[in-house]
Amino acid sequence: MPSICFYFQVHQPFRIKNYSFFDIGSGLPYEDEQKNREIMNKVAEKCYLKTNKKMLELIDRHKGRFRISYSISGTAIEQFEQYRPDVLQSFIDLSRTGCVEFLSETYYHSLSFLHSKDEFKRQVEKHAAVIKKYFNQEPKVFRNTELIYNNELAAYIEGMGYKGIVCEGLDRALNGRTPNFLYQPVNTTRIKALLKNYRLSDDIAFRFSDKGWAEFPLTANKFTTWVHSVAGHGDTVNLFMDYETFGEHQWESTGIFNFLDSLPAEIFKHPHFDFKTPSEVVDSYPVRGNYDVHNFSSWADTERDLSAWLSNSMQQEAMKQVYSVEKQVKQSEDPALIRMWERLQTSDHYYYMCTKFWNDGDVHKYFSPFDSPYDAYLYFMNVFSDLENRLGKKKKTKKALQPDKTDAALTVPLPVGNNKPKRVSAARANKKKAQEQLKAQYSKMLEYMCEI
Amino acid sequence: MLGWEFPPIINGGLGVACHDLSAAMSDLANITMVIPKSSPGFKMKNMNLIGLNSLDINSVENYFNSNQPLPFKLHSVPANLNPYYVDQAGDYTGSSSSMSARGNEKPGAFTLDQLYGNDIIAKVEEYATITAGMAREMDFDVIHAHDWMTMLAGIKIKQQTGKPLVMHIHSLEVDRGGENSKGWVYQLEKKGMEYADLLMPVSHFTAGNIQQHYGIDKSKMAVIHNGSKTVEAFRSKRKFKEKTVLFVGRLTRQKGPEKFLDIASKVLEKDRNVRFIMAGSGDYFKSLLESSSYKNIGNRFHMAGFLNQQKLNYLFSISDVYCMPSISEPFGLSAVEAAQFKIPCVISKQSGVAEVLNGSLKFDFWDTDKAAGCVLNLLNDKVLRTKVVEDASSNLHNISWEIAAKKIVDAYSTNKLI
Repeated sequence: MPSICFYFQVHQPFRIKNYSFFDIGSGLPYEDEQKNREIMNKVAEKCYLKTNKKMLELIDRHKGRFRISYSISGTAIEQFEQYRPDVLQSFIDLSRTGCVEFLSETYYHSLSFLHSKDEFKRQVEKHAAVIKKYFNQEPKVFRNTELIYNNELAAYIEGMGYKGIVCEGLDRALNGRTPNFLYQPVNTTRIKALLKNYRLSDDIAFRFSDKGWAEFPLTANKFTTWVHSVAGHGDTVNLFMDYETFGEHQWESTGIFNFLDSLPAEIFKHPHFDFKTPSEVVDSYPVRGNYDVHNFSSWADTERDLSAWLSNSMQQEAMKQVYSVEKQVKQSEDPALIRMWERLQTSDHYYYMCTKFWNDGDVHKYFSPFDSPYDAYLYFMNVFSDLENRLGKKKKTKKALQPDKTDAALTVPLPVGNNKPKRVSAARANKKKAQEQLKAQYSKMLEYMCEI
Repeated sequence: MLGWEFPPIINGGLGVACHDLSAAMSDLANITMVIPKSSPGFKMKNMNLIGLNSLDINSVENYFNSNQPLPFKLHSVPANLNPYYVDQAGDYTGSSSSMSARGNEKPGAFTLDQLYGNDIIAKVEEYATITAGMAREMDFDVIHAHDWMTMLAGIKIKQQTGKPLVMHIHSLEVDRGGENSKGWVYQLEKKGMEYADLLMPVSHFTAGNIQQHYGIDKSKMAVIHNGSKTVEAFRSKRKFKEKTVLFVGRLTRQKGPEKFLDIASKVLEKDRNVRFIMAGSGDYFKSLLESSSYKNIGNRFHMAGFLNQQKLNYLFSISDVYCMPSISEPFGLSAVEAAQFKIPCVISKQSGVAEVLNGSLKFDFWDTDKAAGCVLNLLNDKVLRTKVVEDASSNLHNISWEIAAKKIVDAYSTNKLI
């Protein structure tokens, strides 16, 4: 009896602002609060609220047989708390149906597993706590940021007590086998891997509104015939995608909500098919082979590796620098500073610095708040320099320093009023002097020009 | 092909572009290039280069006698036009006779200041008359005119022969003089571009300006990005210890020299160990110098005047950042030269080169805060510097006159001109 397993990724980063070299040491905030709020509001209206409402409706309509799962990053939850409590509430409503599972991930949607196991473990635990707090679930299945995955991660996660892990169904690791079974990651004994069926997932997430696609338009009926063809040689069809697919990447006008609305009924037309959450899939089906991924893989781009975040020198430098101060940051015991450092780990910052689609001269279409990857890098590094400065100051005068001292100094108004008239008269008086200077400069210039 | 500036008489990018482009095109097509003045020793292979100064006087007289009226009315107003700033230092030859078909002398009037200068309208008209006369006796398929000085000639030739007219747009009056600059040159540009069969602006930025300010639809345009000649780049040792930021260009409004000064003073507030050098001359020279000493940054701000290519290359070879804050720059070849010298560029988005040089930091010309920040980041961050330079180097593969020439010939045929 094959199952459809839906997992939707919900994530929003805290975008940093155009933090100039001149802002270093200024005490200005790092984040672009206005932009973060605007984007959250936009996506809330176009996607989260609408889709959540639709999901709730479908769960009711099908009397609990329609089942789904989410992974919501800690930064997204913080933004819900801050800007859109109504969205958070709608997820809570979904959690109360008993048909929705919440997965585990790193709180900051980070690549911490690559750099610091301590930090990684801390973030996974922090995330589990917030899931427990709002949705009253203890996650049993883990998904790493952008489905970044390898054997070592699977083993590590097994050690943390998880029973399932979500990853990309890589052609190069499947070697012709189907992603529609559970697999055993090598070097593990209990944990089961759920592999994304990227063809069927991307049919919805990327190709749904592509008029150049031979299968356009995609109806629920057509899609279901593809899914039903799995019967007999698969246990689970894993449809993993960004939640923003609904209403944001694929606008409402494309008919994506109608598609979603009729999909479960179409699936149920085949009596052997049902919907299961990842934990239910893991509990229901056995593994059918080993899954061996030595080098890191992900679900990003055609390469499905780490190149979206770590392929160029800027990305590598930024990430190296951030993790190089881990110890100092944690020792500072300054919650604001620690939180800022944590947020700098969010993968999106590094994604904005990616240049790999660039050199062919084509316009890079990715969604970035910055004009260019260089801007993304240099603003990030300016923020980091400021953070480092604060860290340095902290170290020197840990006890003596008042936290608000620098800020207070900045807000003291400068005595502009008194200086102004003086300046003008000084300028007049100095006119002669300036002319002399000018003369001197002309001759200096001549000397200089002879030099070159 | 109808050109105006041509080596060795060069004032800015136009002369270089015309020369390098026609040289690359001569591998793909037979080209006759007519220019006001050619230098006797200057030859180009595969190309028929005609300077009006070397014409036989009798034939010139004939051209004048058989003059047709224009397809539209053009009122000529005596004006002291100086569309490009021409420095005294740019005076290459001593010749001073004005271009005239009367008397027994050859029309040899063109020194650089005389290419433009006081009676430019008369020169443009004379150039048009003579060239149109010559064209009657020539065999060709396409008229390819460069910028407004040759537009009138292009119009007359098309009128006479019915051959398709292509106008290559290197710069517009609205670039040079600002949006409100709508005098005689603007009118000529507008009429000319309307009359032409196909326009070839050097960037999408310029195509946008043509559409916005001249009301001509982009469907009549084929953007041809400029190329650049490969330079033997080298590094030299500086004679001072401070890092160096370079500006190259005419010191006129269009190039935003005062923005450069602004950027310099902002950078120097943060870091005194930087020098700023401006190469170029123009009507802003004195005021810039005064402002720089006013702002008390005179000892870090150097104005090197108009320099020849050799001295310019030396400046490139000692610079750490190239800055181009142009207000309206149709292309901006100097940024490409800087990239060839492996200098990271900070360039305004209001430029054509920004479309092809991804490996650069870009800012809106009015946002000098951002530009200054970028300069500081580049001076202080080796990773950023290296990455920008690397990316720019790979962009250079796509910036060549051969590619431009091929695109032009392709555009001729896709637009059914040949």
